[in-house]
Amino acid sequence: MERQTILQGRVLITPLTAFLIALLGFPLLLDLVYSVSRVGFENIRAPELSGLGNYAKALADPEFWAAAWFSLRFGVIVASIQVVAGLMLAIFLAPLFAARPWLIAFLMLPMMVAPALVGLMYRLILHEFVGAVPYYLLEWYGDFPAFLGRQWVFTTLVVIETLQWTPFALLILHSAYAAISPDVREAAALDGATGFRQLVSIDLPLMLPAIGVTAFIRFIDSFRVFDNIYTLVGSGAGGSTTSMSIYIYQAFFKVGDIGLAVAASMLLLAASFVVLWTINRLTARRDPA
Amino acid sequence: MTRLKVLLAGAAMLAAMGLSAAKAEVTVLGWPGGPEEAGLRKVAEAYNAKASDADKVKLIFFNRDGFFDKLAADLAAGTTEFDVNLLATYALGRYAPFMEPITLPAAAKETFPEKVLATMQYDGKQYGIPTDLSLHFMYYRSDLIEKLLSDADWKKTYGEISEKHLGKKLEPKDPDQWTWEDWMATALFFTKSINKDSPTRYGSVLQMKNLLFNMMVWHSAARAQGGDWMDASGAVTVDSPAFRTALEMYKTLYDDGATPKDSTSYEYAEANAAFGSGQAATMLQWNAAFADLDSKEKTPAVAGKIGTVAPPTGPAGRFTHIHGLGLGINKASTHKEGAVKFLDWLATPEAMTIYAKAGGSPALTDAVVANIVAERPDLKKLGEFAGSYGFVMNGGTAAKALQVYELQAKEFTAYWSGEKTLDEALAATKSGMAELLKQ
Amino acid sequence: MNPTLSSRPFMSALRWLVFAIAVVVLNFPVIATLVTSLKSDAEISSNASLIIEDPTLDNYAAIFAMADRFDILHYLMNSLVASLIGSALAIGLAFPAAYAMARFKTGRSWLLPLAVNLRAVPLIIFAIPIYLMYQQVGLLDTRLGLAFIFALVNIPLVLVLFTSAIAELPFEIEEAARVDGASTLRLIWHVVLPMSLNVVAASSVLAFIYSWNEFLFGLMLTTSRATPISVGASFFFAASGGGVRWGVAAAVMILATLPPLLLGLLMYRQIGRSMTAGAVKG
Repeated sequence: MERQTILQGRVLITPLTAFLIALLGFPLLLDLVYSVSRVGFENIRAPELSGLGNYAKALADPEFWAAAWFSLRFGVIVASIQVVAGLMLAIFLAPLFAARPWLIAFLMLPMMVAPALVGLMYRLILHEFVGAVPYYLLEWYGDFPAFLGRQWVFTTLVVIETLQWTPFALLILHSAYAAISPDVREAAALDGATGFRQLVSIDLPLMLPAIGVTAFIRFIDSFRVFDNIYTLVGSGAGGSTTSMSIYIYQAFFKVGDIGLAVAASMLLLAASFVVLWTINRLTARRDPA
Repeated sequence: MTRLKVLLAGAAMLAAMGLSAAKAEVTVLGWPGGPEEAGLRKVAEAYNAKASDADKVKLIFFNRDGFFDKLAADLAAGTTEFDVNLLATYALGRYAPFMEPITLPAAAKETFPEKVLATMQYDGKQYGIPTDLSLHFMYYRSDLIEKLLSDADWKKTYGEISEKHLGKKLEPKDPDQWTWEDWMATALFFTKSINKDSPTRYGSVLQMKNLLFNMMVWHSAARAQGGDWMDASGAVTVDSPAFRTALEMYKTLYDDGATPKDSTSYEYAEANAAFGSGQAATMLQWNAAFADLDSKEKTPAVAGKIGTVAPPTGPAGRFTHIHGLGLGINKASTHKEGAVKFLDWLATPEAMTIYAKAGGSPALTDAVVANIVAERPDLKKLGEFAGSYGFVMNGGTAAKALQVYELQAKEFTAYWSGEKTLDEALAATKSGMAELLKQ
Repeated sequence: MNPTLSSRPFMSALRWLVFAIAVVVLNFPVIATLVTSLKSDAEISSNASLIIEDPTLDNYAAIFAMADRFDILHYLMNSLVASLIGSALAIGLAFPAAYAMARFKTGRSWLLPLAVNLRAVPLIIFAIPIYLMYQQVGLLDTRLGLAFIFALVNIPLVLVLFTSAIAELPFEIEEAARVDGASTLRLIWHVVLPMSLNVVAASSVLAFIYSWNEFLFGLMLTTSRATPISVGASFFFAASGGGVRWGVAAAVMILATLPPLLLGLLMYRQIGRSMTAGAVKG
């Protein structure tokens, strides 16, 4: 019996495994070769092995670190704002959603739009002469910030990313909030905990796992941001909006330094595995307790 | 599992050297979306009407954004998806290894001036037939300049503003006589935050996005100051006083608010939208923008009130960046014979006449232009400007010219936006260029 | 619910107000683009407000008038077909694997984390190798080739959803079927799948939307025959040659966004549930 289930299990996971190997096996192998080669578009078929030079070059490149820092900062800030905004909306609007669940559909819509198109849309909306945002700010306040100028571009990108993905945080936190049993709250109310105190002492602690997961997912997605930044401002004045993904894209296509681009990708891959592995270990250790 | 990977990799590598099945037609990859595409469609139609079935051409186009990135990937991978593809002067060095040099047919010399044929040459070989020529015009609002030249109050304010911002008192001049300083004074004069009587919000609109094409536009200013990428000995001269002056000109206009504050994210489309709304008095822009801006349906605010001249004069003379677009043959093509036939025909006066009448912008010999000039008066100006003011930076067709443009775009926009000082930006550009341009 | 708070009509009105503001602000890009798509070129260059003086459908008509150059229906069809195949493939591959993971623990320790971690990797790093590989096997510029990528993009989420959904199914029914001598494959097909229809439906909607919105690989791997709408839409930015025709570009963006948007409105419940499950379990 035991042997049979092992065999059956293997048969069942074979199609998926085969698909992943077929689609990613060769690319991964080729990436590994490229990352230790001197390779550009001119010798894409005949890379010259050159050792770990590309890795050293990436690690010594201040722009690599600037891009990593950009992505990290962007991811952390955006994830934090989204969680806080999503949490506030989820709790404040909970009575509305409880009575009319379909209302939440309208708040979910931003997630359905392709990020690449969102970037293009803002190119239109923020333009001084054809866009609605500068038009109204000028009308009401007589001035508006240079949204995509050096001083404001980071803020603008944060706002754009936040507006598109706060709905995600809202959705998850809303269901976490709705899942808290009324009994728990009633018991708390009997103890005299109402309003804000109930929120802090009962609701938030119960929602903590959901908050953590939401923050983590939003961070991962925002860390590897590409589509919307690329279609809106490219890599920005002086490379000021170069995220990690844009750094790799630039090194790859614009500079044609394929070895460097792939080495940077491999470093990123390794880093993400370390982070995920650590998280897996931490949660695995916590589970039995 | 490891064995499977090796097998897969091996199979793919082996196959990479192999051939793919033959197709019946010659496939041409063109420059999408613009008048170039409209022109190519007409030409292909005319050609197919007389070509044998096996030689007929089929056109494909892909995205304009990232076009050259994708083309690089396609060519490097030895694609056979197309036989003939677009080429640009500044990308010749990058694509030449994947292209088949061509022999010019006799008709080519009748159709195109030598200087224009040279836009498709690299390392002494001809790689394509030049279909379009791009250069810059100084666009200005003729109604506003007319008033500036005649109104005494405006003239007085103009003098005061130029004295305050540029340190010397200037008189308004006809745009065709402008020096770069005159243009700056005009741009400052027509800026509302400087001159509250200005009918426009901004005196100019600069394209300062971190994008290689924007460097080409700005180069017209740098060259007029005497700037070049390299001197005759091959030493990089990007930190010359000429480059400094031209960079500072843009910086001054940007800092003084003579161009929209989001200019550091502006390219072709954004600049046209600003000028088209009637809120910018001047604009240094590609020749291709004229038709749209002058259209009553598209931009009624400025249509009929636009003047175009060659870019202003500088200490070293008057210049406009030029580059050609053209069509050449993919080295991996499986239909080279058919491709050659099409290109040979494309180089005839007959084909180019069709091309121009459908909207393309070929630069042609006087004899050929004479037949089209009634319908396309701008082609005459195009040819004249290219002949009198056209230049290509020394190194502008090198194998890594595109990367040089990318590098400059990044460093110079860092300076304009205030992220780096001029010295820092120029030092970084110089060392980067030395690396990219070394033989 | 807190009776003291929700009973006040003032609070209720305030909630509605916040809700309305949130809807407008969050959906602002789409709203503003929709408004622009209904203005004429001339009006766009003179009136940037959200009030349309002279509404027109010209921009939409212009899209279809350009069909010989940019065939929007062709792009939409490419996206539709590739997204459908891609979603179906992701589900077909992930479901049996998820069953094995949930019931036999097969691959739980390596395949599940490996597949899930794919979500955290910028897939751009595989772009060129996949291009080279596709070229050799003739998948370049085909809907099928695109569909494989879409499946790849969706497998992490779908796998997590299925694994946790199957783990929660009552085991007794399967045991009863097993006693009756049903093979594992029949069991999955006749017993487990019917019980999981909800999660299958929900994840296929989500997978479809994610596929529809994928951009980078659509750009890289297609030339003309299989161009998806997310990429095709950006063609229109240069459609007039001279400058951007903002109105036409806006209209195309609206058409490209409409299918996922409508799906989102119709299936909000399923999407919400699977996003939540995917997040919490993933």
